[in-house]
Amino acid sequence: MALLKPFSKLPGLNTAIILLVENEEKLQLRLGDALLKETSVVVNVRLAKSLPLPVNERRPRIDLVVFIINLTSEPSFQSAEASLKYLDPGYFLGKVCFMVTKARNASVPTRRLDAVRMLAASLHCPLLFAEDQTPEGVFGAADRLLTILKGAAGLVPFTTPLYLSHLTRCTLPPDVDQPSFD
Amino acid sequence: MEKSTKCFLQQLVRRTPTRMLKATLEKWDRLTPHQRQSVDFTLPKWVITQTLVTICEENGLTMKHITELEMMHVIENPNQGTWYSFQLLDPEDDAHSVELMLFKEQFKTHLRELMRNVSIKIKKHTDEAVWIRIAWGSGFSRPNHLKPTYVVHYLQSPYVFVRNLTSKLKPLLMQSLTLSTRHQAIKDANLSGPKLMAIRDLLMKQYQQSFPTNDASPLAKENQPGPIVNEQAEARASRRRMASEAFGKGAVPQLQSAVYKLETKYRDPSNRTMTERDEPFRCVVKYSSSNILESFRHCASAGIASTPVTPLLSSILLKGRNYFVITDNAPAAASQTRQADL
Amino acid sequence: MAASSDSSESDQLRPSDQSVSCRSGNRSMRVAENERRKKAEEPFVLALKYFSDVQTGTPVTGNDEFEKNLVLVERVAYSNGLSPEAISIMLEFAMSLRMGSSPCVRVLKCLLPSSVVPQEAVVRGVVWLNVGKMPITTQVLFLKWVLTVFDMIDAKDQLRAVYGFIFSFITEENLCPFVCHLLYLLTRKESVRAFRVRKLMDLQSKLGRQPFLLHLLSLYKVFSPELVALSVPSRVKSGFKNHNSPWKVALAAVQRRNGAQIASAISLALPVGDRTSSRKRKHGHLQIPVLTSVTNKQPHTEQNSRKKLIPLVQIQSFDQLLKTMHQIELPAQMGSLLGSGLALQYLDCVQEESALLRLNFWLGCALQEEFLFGSDDDAAHIPEETLQFLDKLLSAQHFLQEGFSSSDAFLYKFLNVWDGSLMRPQILGLLSNIPVIPALHLGKLLFEPLTQLFFTSSLFFKCGLMECLNSMLVKWLTWHSVYALEDDLDISLGSHTSVNMTLSGFKDSVMELVHFVGRLASVGLQLEGCHTLLLSFVLDFYGTVCDTFLKFGLPLVVMPPAGVFYPAFFAADPISLDRLAHIMHRYRVNLTSAKNQEKATEAFHISRQTFQEFNHYLVFMVNCLWNSRMFKPGMDVRLSEELLQKSNVPQYWTRFDLIHHPALMSYAFDFHQKCWPGRKEMDLNSIKHLKPWSWYLQYLFNQGFDGLKDFFQSNINQQLTVDDGQGDSQQR
Repeated sequence: MALLKPFSKLPGLNTAIILLVENEEKLQLRLGDALLKETSVVVNVRLAKSLPLPVNERRPRIDLVVFIINLTSEPSFQSAEASLKYLDPGYFLGKVCFMVTKARNASVPTRRLDAVRMLAASLHCPLLFAEDQTPEGVFGAADRLLTILKGAAGLVPFTTPLYLSHLTRCTLPPDVDQPSFD
Repeated sequence: MEKSTKCFLQQLVRRTPTRMLKATLEKWDRLTPHQRQSVDFTLPKWVITQTLVTICEENGLTMKHITELEMMHVIENPNQGTWYSFQLLDPEDDAHSVELMLFKEQFKTHLRELMRNVSIKIKKHTDEAVWIRIAWGSGFSRPNHLKPTYVVHYLQSPYVFVRNLTSKLKPLLMQSLTLSTRHQAIKDANLSGPKLMAIRDLLMKQYQQSFPTNDASPLAKENQPGPIVNEQAEARASRRRMASEAFGKGAVPQLQSAVYKLETKYRDPSNRTMTERDEPFRCVVKYSSSNILESFRHCASAGIASTPVTPLLSSILLKGRNYFVITDNAPAAASQTRQADL
Repeated sequence: MAASSDSSESDQLRPSDQSVSCRSGNRSMRVAENERRKKAEEPFVLALKYFSDVQTGTPVTGNDEFEKNLVLVERVAYSNGLSPEAISIMLEFAMSLRMGSSPCVRVLKCLLPSSVVPQEAVVRGVVWLNVGKMPITTQVLFLKWVLTVFDMIDAKDQLRAVYGFIFSFITEENLCPFVCHLLYLLTRKESVRAFRVRKLMDLQSKLGRQPFLLHLLSLYKVFSPELVALSVPSRVKSGFKNHNSPWKVALAAVQRRNGAQIASAISLALPVGDRTSSRKRKHGHLQIPVLTSVTNKQPHTEQNSRKKLIPLVQIQSFDQLLKTMHQIELPAQMGSLLGSGLALQYLDCVQEESALLRLNFWLGCALQEEFLFGSDDDAAHIPEETLQFLDKLLSAQHFLQEGFSSSDAFLYKFLNVWDGSLMRPQILGLLSNIPVIPALHLGKLLFEPLTQLFFTSSLFFKCGLMECLNSMLVKWLTWHSVYALEDDLDISLGSHTSVNMTLSGFKDSVMELVHFVGRLASVGLQLEGCHTLLLSFVLDFYGTVCDTFLKFGLPLVVMPPAGVFYPAFFAADPISLDRLAHIMHRYRVNLTSAKNQEKATEAFHISRQTFQEFNHYLVFMVNCLWNSRMFKPGMDVRLSEELLQKSNVPQYWTRFDLIHHPALMSYAFDFHQKCWPGRKEMDLNSIKHLKPWSWYLQYLFNQGFDGLKDFFQSNINQQLTVDDGQGDSQQR
């Protein structure tokens, strides 16, 4: 059970490596393709269904781990939750993010969305929402991941992954059903 | 025209969708082109029916002709109702020499010996299948053409597919079939479904099969060093391999359901009342999908179902069945319990 | 012809009479049409006659005459639709069960109206329901038919009159969902009674929390919150799905075929919404319903004189609206108000709470269903009509100059699941219409989701959000300046919103917002490498902030944070520098005038710290640009002498003066060339001499740098005092 470590290898020059973990393996490839459209830095995409990864000495250092969760499916959430323990704690200093799909679906139980939020908030990670059904949605999601990835890989001057994650981390929303101002 | 014939024609037209009616009538070739053109297919069904009845009366068509029409329609559209499959056992030495004429004659003779008042119509379809339409009567009544039984048999193969057969008449048909195909026995093949072709393909193994190998399949090599690397490509490839071993490669027969009848002991350490019962726990597990084999294959290759695939599921393809009875003492399936992961 | 009467005799004619003439005109047209049809379709008339005259108990089976006539009616129905008279006859025939219940279903299925459905026929049908011989499935079918053609029923007043009668069917379990839907469409404030609420609650405890009951109850709650003590869950699954799609399709086909004639006849009266509901009802709840209360009856016979209600749809002009203000009848589908300018005007003028409540209720449900809890295939793509819907909503909000509370509530939720790009222009547009929120709630409702979105999104999103927050601030300030004129301590925000806020509360909210944007802007500029585009949007925002006192009368001045000021000052493009100078100038003007007023009235107080911050920035700017003394002690930018020596920058203290500032250097070059065209060697320092310096300033101001011009004119009036950096001495 090898822990994935964030600082065990040296970074590549102007290179950012992202690991997309998705139990359903539906979105990750499309997202990967969209991520590769970036030209200002070399983006390297690695895919996995869940953690742990098989032992591979030649695996380069991974800058950002993204857990993709389909909110309409409980196994998808459980798998991501179970995978978390194979990450070195160092990753939680700004190198992990959660991406949720189908959050606007009627069949999503509110509890599950809350659970994902709790998870992301307790780990101080950003939680992104993605519209995975349309190419534009995937492209937009890739765009936002790149913003985080560049920060996580240390490619943005004057900032660190930890600083960035302090700005972007998930917070628990209030119950906004009927805001009353009294 | 007789009233029963008229009734039969009306029922037939009513059941046939309008869009198919035109093509079927053309193929039937009992109406003149002029008569065919005079039918306005945009009108409500009952108007069409009336027009057709009038035309058929004009042409003096009889029950024989109408059954022809029905058979044609069924052969063209076999995916209606439920087809049950049967397997012929213990062929005689001369079983392989039974050809169409002989079979026709033998079958009619045998069935008529067992039952008076049956109307049998046999037709050979282009794909070597022999289609048999049987309208049953009883000792005193005339054949009822409204509820005919259809039998499809491929000569020299041990399989027979039957639709719309009552259990009372089953022994009669089975006996005539065994005798006329020169076999000694026949048994239920435990495979049924609405798609005749799927059932046939499954039983006669007319699909792309894949055999277990130990070499790394070419799938593992797809993981070239590129910008997108799948970290778990090997595990994925082996899941896919095992899935296609269990459920076939490429297009698989479109089976729509699989039924498991469980008569096993209830095993659950947390529930003693149920576990300590002597009687087996009876329940039926039914999987259904528009293409069940495809679904199973997807589940296994996507990792939703565990691999290697349990023999319970893989035996659908292996044994050509979709109905299983699972008991504790049956040697084949004794070690298996329910699959809860699907 | 209505138009001509309008122009010539509008003074004498009362508005209702006008619509009479208009309607009778329509009627005569229709009569002529009917005449023409009659000649062509004599057998059809005979068929109708058969159905109206046929005796009770006539057998159906083997009745060729019946069959022939019915086929005839069906054929006409499916091709052209049935006229109102034909609908009445056939419905009466079917519902009276004169020939048993079997033809009833067949007749109901073909009841496709060509124009409208007469209300009397529907009421009679409802009455027949009670006779009791009718199979329950047929009763359901009838109700489904009524729901399907509901918008085509020519008036609803009689149907409303039998509200209680219809309500009594609610106890029939099979009819309940459909009755609830019908009631939902008919309910008005006066229909909500305590005993009905009790009945519904009883039913709810018996049948469980059924969506159709919840929907009706929540509508009741909207009208009379005091009667319904029930917490309606926010996620009621789409309640009514009682439309019958074969009917819809057939109806649409008929309407398409008749399109040319009918549409033109109706659309004359309709300002918007010429779309027939021909599309599949996939996104049906989002289509803004057409304003339809097409009353085609003769008004004198039915509408008695004691209370003349005029459907909103018949109002043609603003004048007419003003005259009939108290007689307006609201349409059944409140959503249709969104599409009509006059309707919005009515909504704005009339202080009737229930109209707005109903509209809000409808809007809340529609938005919620569509965007928060869509089904799988719905979410696949955002269809054109969804965008149109949002655009229409936006333009309605702009028209009313305020948001709808339901769309605000929707936004607070939506922001938490937004991906930042789905319908971005529309969502940001709605966001900018959000009314003032108490400072306490701002963080949770807006700032937290927006912070997460802002820092994880692209530059363009950042710019878009800046713009949106700017326009939100402008709207807040505008509301303040409009509603706080009379009494500047207590302001009520928006004419319809019930949020009352004290001035200090309002100030707190604005301050929170400005500080929030300041934080976003500083860090955003840092992350994006002080991108010029983002900087420009940030300066837009501060362009609003610096004028809060003079332009909007709000005694509040907030200075930009250092993270905004310095990037703007050191920017390499002259525009940003110029705009910063302009903003600083406006701050000065605002602060000066606030100070004077403060002394005069003592009603408010601008904090000392604000002045200090302003002076700090001002001294820095003047020192850098004018005095060429960049690194004075006490400034924010501090570098040690040795380090500066080591850098080998010649005359480092001059590097950001008006000549050497990177943004202005090219102007200095240009000026130099023009001033001394013969010189081979460039010596920018020679501009500093007294004469060329004033020429250079003139040159710069002529290039359109009005901001710099204002800045220097207000701050450096006496050259001598400026020299020791005390040009702002009057500011404490």
